[in-house]
Amino acid sequence: MKRNLIGKVIGGLSLTSAMFVFQACYGTPQDFGLDLLVEGQVKSKISGLPIKGIKVSVADNLQYEYTNDEGRFSFYTEKRDNLSILFEDIDSIQNGIYLNRDTVLKNSKEKVFLDIKMEEK
Amino acid sequence: MFSSFKKLLFRKFKRSETKLHELNYLFWECTTRCNLNCLHCGSDCSKDSLYHDMPLDDFLSALDTVKTPSKNFMVVLTGGEPLLRKDIELCGRAIKKRGMKWSMVSNGHLYDKEKHISLLNAGLGALTISLDGLEESHNWLRNSKDSFSRVSNAINLAVSSSRLYFDVVTCINKRNFQELSSIRNYLIQKGVKAWRLFTIIPIGRAIRNPELFLDNCQLIELMEFINKSRKSSAIDVKFSCEGYVGNYELKVRDNYFFCRAGINIGSILIDGSISACPNIDRDFAQGNIYKDNFYDIWQTKYELFRNRRWTNIGKCAECADYKDCQGNGFHYWQGDKKNVLVCHNEQLKKQH
Repeated sequence: MKRNLIGKVIGGLSLTSAMFVFQACYGTPQDFGLDLLVEGQVKSKISGLPIKGIKVSVADNLQYEYTNDEGRFSFYTEKRDNLSILFEDIDSIQNGIYLNRDTVLKNSKEKVFLDIKMEEK
Repeated sequence: MFSSFKKLLFRKFKRSETKLHELNYLFWECTTRCNLNCLHCGSDCSKDSLYHDMPLDDFLSALDTVKTPSKNFMVVLTGGEPLLRKDIELCGRAIKKRGMKWSMVSNGHLYDKEKHISLLNAGLGALTISLDGLEESHNWLRNSKDSFSRVSNAINLAVSSSRLYFDVVTCINKRNFQELSSIRNYLIQKGVKAWRLFTIIPIGRAIRNPELFLDNCQLIELMEFINKSRKSSAIDVKFSCEGYVGNYELKVRDNYFFCRAGINIGSILIDGSISACPNIDRDFAQGNIYKDNFYDIWQTKYELFRNRRWTNIGKCAECADYKDCQGNGFHYWQGDKKNVLVCHNEQLKKQH
């Protein structure tokens, strides 16, 4: 720890500002981003049974995933305030017909579990 | 005077970093299969690799020996072409589940919209894609008729994500050398923020093709181009950390040359070998995950990486810049290791 600190001081004094941000020759840039793990399960509000094939997506973002046989989904997305997650029934009568809904995530830490109930149309 | 002082401090910084040897960056050569047959491939990758892809569980067993990863520790999936693995998202999620970051180096050939989304869902945080020129020169080097259009599409997708730390890398050779400005403009127009330029290492199948290597004048022109481009903020252009470039240090990169192979960079190669960057001569392997504890090896071995005095032979023995260069990039020590394979500094000096 102490040696690390000394190294940083010496490094800083040599005035090469980006020296702690290195990249291997054939590697990628370092990743300083923060992610939120969004997990959950989608069920029918009436029957309580899981719903398969619901499209779960992030607003203003290309990302989406479909719920599996157990109505579950799980994905990482960029951590930000007021993240809007949309739930859409896009498979017509297959797996039932449900009203779309959304939810806004505020002040989430590293992961969140969403228990979503969707109303039948 | 001021410059000498900075260099002196930087040498001390390097010594301190070497003593600490914190593992920050772990390459995983998860496959050596490849869907391209590039003229410059240093690893002679092909569609039919001699090796099976490393099973995810084997890699995870080794990764789990890193009990307390450093703050910005990340796993970099490389190949071959990582996207040929059907379980690439599973691999990423398993790494992420351990609280670690992961990234990937790709030729972009299979990087379509669906793949982009599934990789982001799996927590991909950084990405590097290769673009080796405008259409004709890129397709020539990549030995593929449609590689350029596919890579172009991949770049569009990567740029569209605010989450990804993304850059484009280009291997400069005699054919794309005249296109440097056009490539830069093309990338700016696409919204790319970072571009790294490489020369090609004379190893693997590259060695058979003299068109792949810049002459001394061209190397200087490349340095001048990078230096000039760095004065504009339109795109962050830099020379890769492949070698020491004498008077161009700090002009073509943000920091002085420091080959961190085996100091902060480790690797687990396709056959389980434990080493540093994947392009380093495989004779330098320090152990094997199938018989050794990976992190014990990291902590206790790697002597040749952390004490490079042995590179003070051949042309390096007579070089006035040895203290700052220390034998150029580690991957330039191949074969009998009696001399450095490439010396950028020498090439640049010859023209002055």
